[in-house]
Amino acid sequence: MRYQFELIVGIIIILFIGIFLYTTSINPDAEFSGTDTVGSAIVSDITGIPEEDMAPLIPQWVPPSGEVEACIFALQAAFGGIVLGLCFGYLLAQRKTA
Amino acid sequence: MHIMEGFLPPVWAAIWWIIALPVVMYGFVQLKKVVDENRDTLPLLGICGALIFILSALKLPSVTGSCSHPTGTGLSAIVFGPYITAVIGFIVLLFQSLFLAHGGLSTLGANTFSMAICGPFLGYYVYRALKDSAINMYITVFLAVALADLFTYVITALELALAYPAQATGFMGSFVTFLGVFAVTQIPLAILEGAILALVFKYIVNLKPDILMKMGIFSEEKIKAAMEK
Repeated sequence: MRYQFELIVGIIIILFIGIFLYTTSINPDAEFSGTDTVGSAIVSDITGIPEEDMAPLIPQWVPPSGEVEACIFALQAAFGGIVLGLCFGYLLAQRKTA
Repeated sequence: MHIMEGFLPPVWAAIWWIIALPVVMYGFVQLKKVVDENRDTLPLLGICGALIFILSALKLPSVTGSCSHPTGTGLSAIVFGPYITAVIGFIVLLFQSLFLAHGGLSTLGANTFSMAICGPFLGYYVYRALKDSAINMYITVFLAVALADLFTYVITALELALAYPAQATGFMGSFVTFLGVFAVTQIPLAILEGAILALVFKYIVNLKPDILMKMGIFSEEKIKAAMEK
């Protein structure tokens, strides 16, 4: 079958979405925050130091809001996507002209 | 995900920097060599690097009720080896710590060690071990990528556990706690990433089999057999 591989990957993606929907339905309180946030909470549990008191060792620019952060993440992915498309396009065209 | 700025004591932050830096520097030397000597491989390098950029920007929800992101380093480790992957991973992590406050400059060494060094090295050795075996080429890629992703977070858990052993149960106790957060969250993401990158590898095989043969990524027989299907 020609698209067997694509089919398998498609099923894995659907399963992944299914598991996500199932998790949200059995656990409506889940915050889906990042594991770094969860991990940091455990660190402050172990050390007994509140998270706010964990001062950065090197000063750091923090995106002022979730929107700005989403924008920069989107830029990162868009940059990757452009390069990915460019390189695949290059290989495709190379094969066509060969 | 990464260790946030300020969440590693200065000693540990310095130790991971000292371990990570020579590897990244050696990677730069290798990268320059590949770029200078073998221009044909540039599109492949672009694909591998771009995938790391894209995948590490995607925060995906997981079974534990928290989010994490895939690393995307496995494919690059297979095609270009772990040192060059370390450079690309380092650049992505530097970007994220400067502009996104994901990880910080002091913890960059630790994050580089887990995501850009340990993960790719494990993926590379999994690939090397299975390369000439009877196992299907795409399953080899799947396993190398998925395990590289998972191992990254095992190392993140290790780094935090070393810095913060629990008072009652010691190092092992907090290692298990951190593994529960980082590694368990990562399992479904690792499987997803492995499947997607194996598919990308199939497209590369179909488009440019000669360069993969020339680089000796897989044997000619395996690549030809895969293309006939």
